[in-house]
Amino acid sequence: MSSERRIEVDYLARVEGEGAMYLELDGSEVRDLKFKIFEPPRFFEAFLRGRKHSEAPDITARICGICPIAYQMSACNALEAAAGATITNGIRSLRRLIYFGEWLESHGLHVFFLHAPDFLGYDNGIAMAKDHPERVEAGLRLKKLGNEIMTVVGGREIHPVNVKVGGFYRAPRVEELASLKKELEWGLGAAIDTAEWVSTLSFPDFERDYEFVAVRHPDEYGMLDGRIVSSAGLDISPEEWPEHFIESHVEWSNALHARKVGGGSYHVGPMARYSLNYEWLSPAAKEAASRAGLGPVCRNPFQSIVVRSVEMVHACETALEIVANYKQPDAPSVEVDPSGKIGHGVSEAPRGLLYHRYEVDDDGLIADAHIVPPTSQNQLSIEDDLRAYVPLHAHLDDATLQWQLEQAIRNYDPCISCATHFLDLEVKRTDR
Amino acid sequence: MIGIGSEFRGDDAAGLEVARRLRRVNSATCIDGSLDMINLWDGWSDVALVDATRSGSAPGTIQRFDGKKTDFPSSAFVSTHAIGTGEAIRLAREMGLLPDKLTVYGIEAGSFAIGAPLTPSVAGAVDVLVEELDNA
Repeated sequence: MSSERRIEVDYLARVEGEGAMYLELDGSEVRDLKFKIFEPPRFFEAFLRGRKHSEAPDITARICGICPIAYQMSACNALEAAAGATITNGIRSLRRLIYFGEWLESHGLHVFFLHAPDFLGYDNGIAMAKDHPERVEAGLRLKKLGNEIMTVVGGREIHPVNVKVGGFYRAPRVEELASLKKELEWGLGAAIDTAEWVSTLSFPDFERDYEFVAVRHPDEYGMLDGRIVSSAGLDISPEEWPEHFIESHVEWSNALHARKVGGGSYHVGPMARYSLNYEWLSPAAKEAASRAGLGPVCRNPFQSIVVRSVEMVHACETALEIVANYKQPDAPSVEVDPSGKIGHGVSEAPRGLLYHRYEVDDDGLIADAHIVPPTSQNQLSIEDDLRAYVPLHAHLDDATLQWQLEQAIRNYDPCISCATHFLDLEVKRTDR
Repeated sequence: MIGIGSEFRGDDAAGLEVARRLRRVNSATCIDGSLDMINLWDGWSDVALVDATRSGSAPGTIQRFDGKKTDFPSSAFVSTHAIGTGEAIRLAREMGLLPDKLTVYGIEAGSFAIGAPLTPSVAGAVDVLVEELDNA
């Protein structure tokens, strides 16, 4: 007579890295629910201690092969803030451009290969390619466009070598940037088309009253730098992060859980960015959003695929503008000396807010580092989504419910590798 | 020729080592046999892939496959990411993006220990494959 059910996913598919899910249900009541990250911790913050401050962008880039630019930019922001240095507008434009390249690469992969198959009922992108070759081809080409931007500005497509604290080692020539124009124009059209296509997918009727947290800049869609704002009215500088957010360890995850001080979960990522920065979207992105039926705020996590597509429109259109207005800066970088100082930096990784803090000693060596990636901030929000979703859908059979819950996790495009790291591990079952 | 692997995981570096030592063949490397591989062979008609395998055969065993015809299981090539060598080849096949000729060489790994050099049998297999590809 027991109505007890247990759903276990030992190894989540189509996420970056290794994670699992555990759910114990009694009727429609959730007894136990865990989003588990079982990759072992990576100790990057410890590696950084004793290294030159100028090495931080290259070392932290290695945390992720999908979003190295985010790590480089948050590191540069923190060290430049420590030194009180200001970069030139030319350097800023190049940084925005390379960051858009990363967004295109990351969103292109997630929208077409990791997320769309969920909505269309395919196990993976390969199965989907058979029936929707033109979509998968567009995805590959958008991702490749992102790679090309990274190569032109950063020197190579993964873990770029041209980024340094204070700017770049070498500023690309005008004609190098101009070579991106044609493909960016194609990308803009393809992204608009993608936003329209994904808006026709069928989304579970589900919303949550999230506290969104994202970067806000006075006159740009939040990405490269700015203040940290939230939908609950928080408006703080990056150095105030530790006063408002706290990390703690839970036994089922090797990634620290972040929460608001004295509060619960919050949500970072494309939906938070979009909802807190809507007015700064590029014209074509705003139009794509409205045609896709999105209002200025999106609270249905399943629709994050639409938001990512709108962000690809914004990325292509803004990148085109940067390429058109580009003048090679006189100097590719500015002097930065953060010796004896502490600095905090934030930027918007494809998956959301990425916070760095560095303490630099009098010799210019890193004495302490603290890095909080988006996925560790979203872990609680993921669990809260599942906890809210399950009682409404407890009538579904195990297989259907499991599929939808996995999809709910993939809504976040969780980068478990960033939150921890890969190692060849055996899956440990938690039997009670 | 595309060598796939990680520098830091013992015998996983076998493909990279072959790519580095080829003299007469154009070569490239990538960390994962992922989607980027499809971009790498774009425009080339005769492509060789070299990756480490975990098939249960003796370490250092070289296996040769016709990449146009073989259906690789997902786990045949070790990848740290969601899309591995086998999947990328399948995807390219579905989409008609395979080169005219694709030969896949698997070198059976003995160890994926972090920071370790190639094990002797795998280093020997690398010598054999470099010789074979450079004189093909």
